Parts: sequence; C-alpha cells; structure tokens
Amino acid sequence: MGEAIVITSGKGGVGKTTTTANLGTALALQNKKVCLIDTDIGLRNLDVILGLENRIIYDLVDTVEGRCKIQQALVKDKRFDDLLFLLPAAQTSDKNAVTPQQMAKLVEELKLDFDYVLIDCPAGIEQGYKNAVAGADKAIVVTTPEISAVRDADRIIGLLEKEEIEPPRLIINRIRPQLMKNGDSMDVNEITTHLSIDLLGIIPDDEQVIRSSNKGEPIVMEPSTQAAIAYRNIVRRILGESVPLMSLENEHKGVFSKIKALFAK
Amino acid sequence: MTTKQLVLIKGTKEGLVLQLDDQCAYSDLLDELKRKVTEDGLEGQAEVTIHVGNRYCNQEQLKEILHIVQQSKHLKVSKIKSDVITVEECNQKLLKSQSATYIGIVRSGQELRADGDLVVIGDVNPNGKVIAGGSIYVMGRLKGMAHAGVEGNRECVIAASWLEATHLMIADLMELMTNEVTILAEKPEMECAYIHPNGHIAIDRLQDLRILRPNLSTFKGGS
Ligand SMILES: Nc1ncnc2c1ncn2[C@@H]1O[C@H](COP(=O)(O)OP(=O)(O)O)[C@@H](O)[C@H]1O
Ligand SMILES: [Mg+2]
Repeated sequence: MGEAIVITSGKGGVGKTTTTANLGTALALQNKKVCLIDTDIGLRNLDVILGLENRIIYDLVDTVEGRCKIQQALVKDKRFDDLLFLLPAAQTSDKNAVTPQQMAKLVEELKLDFDYVLIDCPAGIEQGYKNAVAGADKAIVVTTPEISAVRDADRIIGLLEKEEIEPPRLIINRIRPQLMKNGDSMDVNEITTHLSIDLLGIIPDDEQVIRSSNKGEPIVMEPSTQAAIAYRNIVRRILGESVPLMSLENEHKGVFSKIKALFAK
Repeated sequence: MTTKQLVLIKGTKEGLVLQLDDQCAYSDLLDELKRKVTEDGLEGQAEVTIHVGNRYCNQEQLKEILHIVQQSKHLKVSKIKSDVITVEECNQKLLKSQSATYIGIVRSGQELRADGDLVVIGDVNPNGKVIAGGSIYVMGRLKGMAHAGVEGNRECVIAASWLEATHLMIADLMELMTNEVTILAEKPEMECAYIHPNGHIAIDRLQDLRILRPNLSTFKGGS
C-alpha cells in the first residue's frame, strides 16, 4: 500500500506543478513506482512539463465517469521503465466534473499499485483544492519567499490542519540568495517561523528549471544542477533520510547557515 | 386572607422602592399592585425602582408589572430589580466571566471567538482574527487582527508578547496599525493596547497594565 501526497499552495504560479513533476521523477529514479495526478481540470500542464502531452488518450474525468479503466488513462513515461505514470487532467470539462468522494476512491485504488501517488493541486481553495486533498495522506505546501505567497500558504495550512492528514510540510521555491541576503525578501527562517511547520526543503530560482520544463524534461534529470540536487534531497527526506539543508551559494555563506539548525534535530 | 402586605412602598437611599412579595400567587400580587398604584395617597411624581425579590418573572410578566405601575401618573419606573436569574442566564454570565484558552496558530482567514477573556498560546498570523467579549492575551506574535470588548466594554485590553497587529479594536474603537504607530516601538515586545482617557487606542508596555487597568486583576487576597 503506497501513500498519497498532495502538493498545494493556495497561490498560483509558485511551482506546484514543477515540484510535482520533479519529485515524481526523482522518486522514480530511486526505483519507486510513482503515479502523478494532475487535478487542475481545464488548465492541465503537468503533461507538458513531463513531455507526455502527445500521448494522452483518456483523462481523469473519463476515469471517474467510467468511460475507461484507470489503467487505460495512465500515461507511461518511457524513460523510466514501468516506474513513472501520469493521470492527466481533462482539458475540456469544468472543475465540478469530479467530486471529492470520487477522487478519494480513485486515489485509494491507485495506492494499491503504486508506492507514491503525487497529486498536483490547482490554485485556490475551492472545488479543485477539495478534490486534490480528498484522497491524500500527506501534504506538501509550496511557497516562494514573497509575502503574498506566504500569506496564501498560511491560509492553506489552516485548511489542511482541519483535514485528517499528517501535518503539512513546507517547500520554499525560487529562492534568490542575494535578495534574501539584502533583506529584500523574507528569509527561510522568517518564513518557517511565521508558518510554523516543518521545512522539507528549499529550491533555488534557476532559469534552467524553466528551460528544462519547456523541453519536457524535469530538471532532476540533469543531476549537476543545484535545483536537481535540491529536489533529490527533498525526495531523500520524503524517503526518511535525514539530509542537511544545502547551502545554495558558497559566496553567500551564512545566509543559510542558521537554517541548518532546523534540520539538526 | 393574610394580613401580609404584598406590595410595600419604601423610601431608601437610592429613592423610592416598590417591594413586591415573592411568595404569594402571581395573580394576587397583580391585584394588590393595581390597587396600590391607584390609591389616593400618592402625590406629585416620584421615580421608583420595582423590586421583584426572589420571584422569577419572565419578560412578559415583567412587562405586565411595568404596565400596571405606569398606569399611575405619580410613579415613574427607573428600573426593575430581581434577585434571581435562570440557569441559562447564569451560564451566559459565567461564560462571559471565564477565560478561554486556545493553543495553536490562528492562521490567515481563520477567526477565533470567546465570550469572555481570550488567551491564545501561539501566533495570530496576518489576516487571522481573534475576537473576545473580554480582554485578549496572546502569548506569541499578534500579527493579525484583534477585537477586545466586542460587546462594548471599553475597559478591555489587548496584550501580546509581540504586538504587531494590523488592526486593533477595543469596544467601538479601531486603530489601524500604520507605520507611524508601530514606528514608536522599535521592538513591539511585551505590549498592551487599551483605550486612553483621551478616547483613542494607545499602546504601552505590558508592565504598565497594573496601573492602567488594576481592575483586570481578579486575584483575591495579598501576595
Ligand atoms: N525553481 C524555479 N526556478 C525558476 N523558475 C521556476 C522555478 N519553479 C517554477 N518555476 C517557473 O514558474 C512558473 C510557474 O510554475 P508552476 O510549477 O507551473 O506553478 P504552479 O503549478 O504552482 O502554478 C513556471 O514557468 C515554472 O517554470
Ligand atoms: Mg500548476
């Protein structure tokens, strides 16, 4: 029996889909069998980032409405033999085409077959969010160091704490060490203190991420980049290893040194 | 028939009191009251307090009594006093005099309410709101909104280990924490907000509360 993790944020554009694609790929690289679900009905894009859009036949709505079997809708990523699959969102239906009950049942079934089911949540706190959370055992909240993103993360954490799932964990994405150092954005410590949840990891802001997403190859497949190391570290933490927080740039030593204390439990 | 007077008119320090018997039948009391207030002995116009003693009267009955007394052009009712309340009213009062404790974080979009005082052990984040009939004490960072004395009690205060609220409200007053207000304290640590005699919400050191609002202390006896 696998576990289902929802990746959510409240605010749009902070990196939920990028994070889902990369964590899923990194888990598959660790020999875990992974299913990614895109629940952003009407605005699907997880398939693009994974480079799988041309291979979609059925989607999430087809599955819950019984037009196809789950297996038929799953798109296999051929780069990882039988380890990485995507259940794409419907492009044409609206968000209310699926109910939380249907989602919970679907995720329950997928957990029988997969080690990890990662659920990419749409922005907002309405139906799409409720669907995405319905079947989850755990939650990862993604934010950027912007105040507005942190504010929305706080709202989402409040809602998640009402669900019957484990306390959510935090990923801070698109970190720019220079901005933080100059005090022009909230620093990692401030954000974790403010939200008072456990930090799962930090990801640097890196245009390589955008470039590789456009190519349909998640950045973790280029192992030398900092963002790839960051995502792989997060996956190791998900798998239960204790990995110290990476220092993002050597010349800015000190900016992240305090954060290390957070992991040195 | 007893010779006991069911309605007594007494002069006290607080003025005229209409003392109603609380043991007899309610209908007997009304009859007697009607007779008494239409008696010839009364002159001029006096303010009177009606005291119903240990008799429980519901709102209808109180209205009835009031109506009868108002028939007399000599008596003007200033208030009705009673020595009893229902269990429900009592519970309401108890709630208001109690303090509620919340351990956790009041996050963006969340609202926490208490009838009496409210103690929050944790932070109140921006866009989170705490509301209390009494005072609010935050053992943590108050960075959202707080409304104390929500039913009009201007004596209530808002105290926090770290007072960095965006909106402070006490009774009917509201203070938006603009930079000008917060700039006064470099570190908004251990502070309290209260209504200053000048009619505005002011912020002072927590230590000053003892002088500003000595009545908040409910501790009996010396130390
Ligand atoms: N660490 C990063 N560095 C640079 N760009 C990023 C990073 N993470 C995400 N992005 C970019 O930000 C945009 C929004 O990301 P996306 O994952 O689609 O967000 P969401 O799913 O939360 O709406 C995309 O263009 C993506 O390539
Ligand atoms: Mg997305």
